[in-house]
Amino acid sequence: MNKLEWIQLCTAFVGSLGFGVLFNVRGRRLWAAAIGGFFAWGLCLLLGKWISVEPLNYFIVSLSISFYAQVMARILKTPATPISITALIPLIPGSSLYYTMASAFQGLSGDFVVKAVATLELAAALALGIIVVSALSRWRVKWRALG
Amino acid sequence: MSNMEILLDCIMDLGQQMLICGGEVHWIEESLCTILRAYGASQTDVFIITSSMVVTVHTKDGEAYTQTRRISDATSDFERLHALNDCSRWICAEHPSPEEIRAKITSITTKTKQYPLWLNFLCYAVIAAAFTLFFGGSFTDACISFVVGLLMRSAIWLCDRTISNKIFTKFFAAFTATLLSLLSLHLGFVAGVDKVMIGNIMTLIPGIGLTNALRDLFVGDSIAGLLRTIEACIAALCIAGGFFAAVFITGGAGL
Repeated sequence: MNKLEWIQLCTAFVGSLGFGVLFNVRGRRLWAAAIGGFFAWGLCLLLGKWISVEPLNYFIVSLSISFYAQVMARILKTPATPISITALIPLIPGSSLYYTMASAFQGLSGDFVVKAVATLELAAALALGIIVVSALSRWRVKWRALG
Repeated sequence: MSNMEILLDCIMDLGQQMLICGGEVHWIEESLCTILRAYGASQTDVFIITSSMVVTVHTKDGEAYTQTRRISDATSDFERLHALNDCSRWICAEHPSPEEIRAKITSITTKTKQYPLWLNFLCYAVIAAAFTLFFGGSFTDACISFVVGLLMRSAIWLCDRTISNKIFTKFFAAFTATLLSLLSLHLGFVAGVDKVMIGNIMTLIPGIGLTNALRDLFVGDSIAGLLRTIEACIAALCIAGGFFAAVFITGGAGL
């Protein structure tokens, strides 16, 4: 691992922690979310070594972290959404959004479209991961209701 | 008012608070149905979107009661959401009387702990600095980003105190952040504004709004999803607007 990757892991943790405070997440739930942020980026870096398709990478991370949030939610007896949302903060495509805006301002319309589509793909991959896990957890509830 | 009607009123309060604290539409609908059925409702029709709730409950005696609530503002207060979730578990398990439920909800809405305001300011600065480093900025970039984040939060605070319009606040925050970043570039503190800007944009962008919007759409809560999508798009446009305005008045150099 190079120096930037170490910095990214630490700042992913700090970033998730900061957002946790902004969302008024407290106590053990706050640490669960911040550690989730650390793992989210760690997994993203790890997958990046094998998978070059970034949206797919994001989808797998989002899937894993949402699953992690479901597990933590059951341990800490709390809704899962606050943990998954806070932990997935490092994956929010802020940088590609900025470069999309910058290319729009510079009048590079071809560049703008490419970057806008890339940003949307990442956001959609992120959302899809969360959706799949929340749908799966609902099935489990239904099975329990039947049995 | 009959018992069920009073109960419905309390449960509506519970749902309203959940929505205000940033609860998922689908999850709140499920919680309300479960609670009302636990109190012996034969049928419950719950319809919730981000700005309104409509609940009809049918009793076993064949009576039906309907109530609606208008939700004007939503935030993300997950500590309160956690307390409300505990409250709904408690209601299902112990079937308390409406008075007890009301007392519990009032105590949750008034007594939930909040972080102090200075910590909120500090978080904006720390998040901005952290993500500047995250996206490859230098240590100097991070320091500038920290200061810009603090000043941007001050600008948001000023807007909230005076104009109190969410859309304008976003615009003004993005404008301030961009202007300060460009200023630090012209004074020679940083080599490029992009890393500083990205760090500060992270606290502004509606990433969570958009994620929630897409989730609601995919899960089948189409109207709630569409409302959230529109909110997220407008927020993104405001940020872009503030950014463009600041770049434009400084002549557009140094992006």
